[in-house]
Amino acid sequence: MKVDVALFASLASFQPDGLSGRHTREFDFPDGMLISEVIASLGLPDEPRVIFVNGRHASEGAALSAGDRLAIFPPVGGG
Amino acid sequence: MRGIAMPETRGYQMRELMRVNMSDLSIKMEPLPAKWARYGGRALTSALVFTEVPAMADALGAENKFVVAPGFLGGTNTPNGGRLSIGAKSPLTGGLKESNSGGQAAHALGKLGIAAVIVEGKAADASARYMLVIEADKSAKLVRVDAWAGMGNYALAEEIKATRPADDHFATITTGPAGEMGLKAAGVAVSDPKGYPNRFAGRGGMGAVMGTKGLKAIVVSDKGLSYVEHADKEAFSAAMKVFANALTTHPVSGQGLPTYGTNVLANIINEAGGYPTRNFSDGRFEGVENISGEKMREVTLERGGNVKHGCHTGCVIQCSRYWVDKDGAYVTKGMEYENVWSIGADCGIDDLDAIGLIDRECSDLGLDTIEMGATLAVYMDAGKIAFGDGAAALAAIKEIWAGTELGKTLGQGAEVTGNAFGVAHIPVVKHQALPAYDPRPIQGIGVTYATSTQGADHTAGYAITANVLAVGGSVDPLSPEGQAGLSQGLQIATGMLDAMGFCIFVAFPVLDIPEAFGAIVDMVSAHTGDTWDANALLAVGKETLTYERLFNQHAGFTPADDRLPAFFKTVPLPPHNVVFTVSDADLDSVFDFVPETAAGLGIS
Repeated sequence: MKVDVALFASLASFQPDGLSGRHTREFDFPDGMLISEVIASLGLPDEPRVIFVNGRHASEGAALSAGDRLAIFPPVGGG
Repeated sequence: MRGIAMPETRGYQMRELMRVNMSDLSIKMEPLPAKWARYGGRALTSALVFTEVPAMADALGAENKFVVAPGFLGGTNTPNGGRLSIGAKSPLTGGLKESNSGGQAAHALGKLGIAAVIVEGKAADASARYMLVIEADKSAKLVRVDAWAGMGNYALAEEIKATRPADDHFATITTGPAGEMGLKAAGVAVSDPKGYPNRFAGRGGMGAVMGTKGLKAIVVSDKGLSYVEHADKEAFSAAMKVFANALTTHPVSGQGLPTYGTNVLANIINEAGGYPTRNFSDGRFEGVENISGEKMREVTLERGGNVKHGCHTGCVIQCSRYWVDKDGAYVTKGMEYENVWSIGADCGIDDLDAIGLIDRECSDLGLDTIEMGATLAVYMDAGKIAFGDGAAALAAIKEIWAGTELGKTLGQGAEVTGNAFGVAHIPVVKHQALPAYDPRPIQGIGVTYATSTQGADHTAGYAITANVLAVGGSVDPLSPEGQAGLSQGLQIATGMLDAMGFCIFVAFPVLDIPEAFGAIVDMVSAHTGDTWDANALLAVGKETLTYERLFNQHAGFTPADDRLPAFFKTVPLPPHNVVFTVSDADLDSVFDFVPETAAGLGIS
């Protein structure tokens, strides 16, 4: 299934192609892939993170569906 | 002109008020009333305005007062404790305003033992301009500077510097031409560590109060002055280490903010669908990547610009930066998240250079960049210029220099502009423009916008923490449940932080690390030699809000003023296609502590 994965701030460099400037890549994952499995496959550091699926907060144990957009941020703030 | 000898102790109990009368040009020192001995910053500016300014006063008249106060810990070595409060009756909201700024002035005033400068009256000659000069020995004088009339903040900074000895160490507080014209969007500029007038008490028209009194600038020298001592130096140092450690180890204040600046928020707020785009008509901006904090850092580094410094001495977070042009020359401060959003996404502009030029123009004119971005977006919504046209937006802002009809209309802010050009959706509460988070998909911040004494102000109770950032717990941003309680707690805590003089970004670690809040209690106790606890600190927050809330009631505010504009409840916002659903009863519960607090203070 096709899923868009966006990695931001200090996590952006963990995209497999390592290219900067763009945050989102399209991936082809097995059906029902868990967010935790995506995190493991990308080798993201074992640190706090904020996860969205289709603009809503999601937990790492949730399964992805075809056409989803997964976005992962390190803890950020400002304002 | 008069000189006052420095007191031997500059402890918190020795703080004084400096009263400057623009009508008779007198300057007097007074002891700080004992009942306000635990106040600084916003607590003091709000208590003073509540007590001394009639609620029905004309905000641009002689009865209003322009009050400048360092935080309670201003002038000490407290990490991130150098914020400045500027208070008055707001010409924009009509209520009691505290506008908060970084920069160097708070520590300078604090080191002098000045708890607040109260500027009252109004220059008899409307063409007169004055500079208030406060020397490091606490002597002060008003200097006539008529030739500086109409001067922008940057040229003004150079003129002021030329009047000072080469080895001086001083901070400036200035107003640009927008303030002199009495425009409601005029802010007050405060100098940063390099002397740039780029830190702002932007919101609520404080620049107009200053400018229409005939006061063009305040200079405060702290040359040769050391930090204010603590009653228990060892205990203070121990608590300070705990506090500084929390600030530097929490991932938000220790990594995200220093690396990317406040604009690190652009992508995450956009992802959450709450990034107001083209006058609050969409929650996502297709150009966000081009104006994100990540992009700003990349471009600034390519151009050789600075990407990490504090806005004031003693800051350990270091989220400030400088924005430079293609040749590496300084343009303006590294635009904050709010500025990039207002001038960028809200106007459909995805070009950081265009945003930087408009930010610079607003800063030089002395205008609130949040209000002005929102104003340009409303003007674009009226079809007067196209969304995304940065050049046309800059040209419109430049009209303000000459005070043309269009320029003066824009300079009055989003509401006046929207009304003048017949715009249906004007995003304001209490006449002040909403900042950079749409309240429909992020409902907690909507409660703060609706109920804050300040008008729509994100900093008054930053519910983005638990709504979006997973800091300080988690409250579903799309649900109305729990938002009123979240906003209330944050508004009280923020009142306290603003009174103490803390940067509100200390809230990120304080909300997550229990020892960090304990360290604030311990620092304040060690500084004063008195016993403080969490309740005593939060009492200052509640009292601050109570002065503001009562003043606003006296000025005519009712529960109807604690509401968002109707379109936020009726027009769904993409991509989540939701409206604001927090009940009026919940909104009316946020200030339920006021009667009891007011009774305790003996005010009504």
